[in-house]
Amino acid sequence: MTVKVRFFARFRELLGTDIPAEPEDGATLLSLVRDLALKKKEGYDAIFDGHGNFHEFVIVMRNGKRVEHDDVGAVKVADGDEIAVFPPVAGG
Amino acid sequence: MLFGDEGQERLKKAHIFIAGAGGLGSPVSLYLAVAGIGTITIVDMDVVDQSNLNRQILHNDRDIGKKKTVSAEEKLTAVNPDITVHAIDTRINESNAATLIGNADGIVDAMDNYPTRYLLNNVAIHMTIPLFHGAIHGFYGQATTIIPGKTPCLKCIFPRAPPGEVSPVVGATAGVIGTVQATEVIKYLLQSGDLLTNRLFVWDGLAGRADEIHAERMPCCPACGGLTPDKGGKNK
Repeated sequence: MTVKVRFFARFRELLGTDIPAEPEDGATLLSLVRDLALKKKEGYDAIFDGHGNFHEFVIVMRNGKRVEHDDVGAVKVADGDEIAVFPPVAGG
Repeated sequence: MLFGDEGQERLKKAHIFIAGAGGLGSPVSLYLAVAGIGTITIVDMDVVDQSNLNRQILHNDRDIGKKKTVSAEEKLTAVNPDITVHAIDTRINESNAATLIGNADGIVDAMDNYPTRYLLNNVAIHMTIPLFHGAIHGFYGQATTIIPGKTPCLKCIFPRAPPGEVSPVVGATAGVIGTVQATEVIKYLLQSGDLLTNRLFVWDGLAGRADEIHAERMPCCPACGGLTPDKGGKNK
């Protein structure tokens, strides 16, 4: 299966974007993004907390639909999925 | 004329509420003023500081120490003396937000924090007024247009606030996002083009890329989950 992961803003700066991935069957949103982010510690730390969960403000979207953090460890990725990982900004 | 007499008249009759006279509020208010938006209410509680001047182009060096509302009113009436500017020096809070917004046709989110953004979002939903969201950090920015009942609201897209920041911002980033917001307001009032609804516009100045992220309403959203499309905003 082939999926695409899009990192945005600071996450893109640290990890790149539009990353094609070929996760194994059964991979979840959490495991997919975690495996990609682990390639660069700074990128991983920007996205995940010390327990390996997404920081609470990180937005995870699968095919345009936001996925609740409580569900990212259960939602399995499917062939053709586009996963977006986005850090909202706060300034004005 | 780009808008024709009828379009220009629509802008003249419009009342837009701008929350914040800072980095985003500066370009938004200036462009709406010169577009001829008839009534602009702009709210801020701060005083102009030298550190603001890299991005808050509504204020000049000689305004340092002056209330931002005073400075804003001076500049906006200077660029267009034919409009009415209500510059209100106060902090937007739960008890005054709806009254301040009043009968505005649109709310521009030019705030620097999510608690106040969520408050504006609630008022927008309650009063079915569109909310034009923007936020910036460094070289990054985001914007979306929210039509209550029809599009995802701020809570649908951002259920939890990112950490507060004392944002180092490149002034030009505020320019990019603020002008996107002003464009959205004008399009909404003119019923022209495709609004930035159901989409989050994402600007990455470092990469020199603009992207969009598709966004959908969350049925379980605590802010707008109960709102149906027929109760939705006054999308003219």
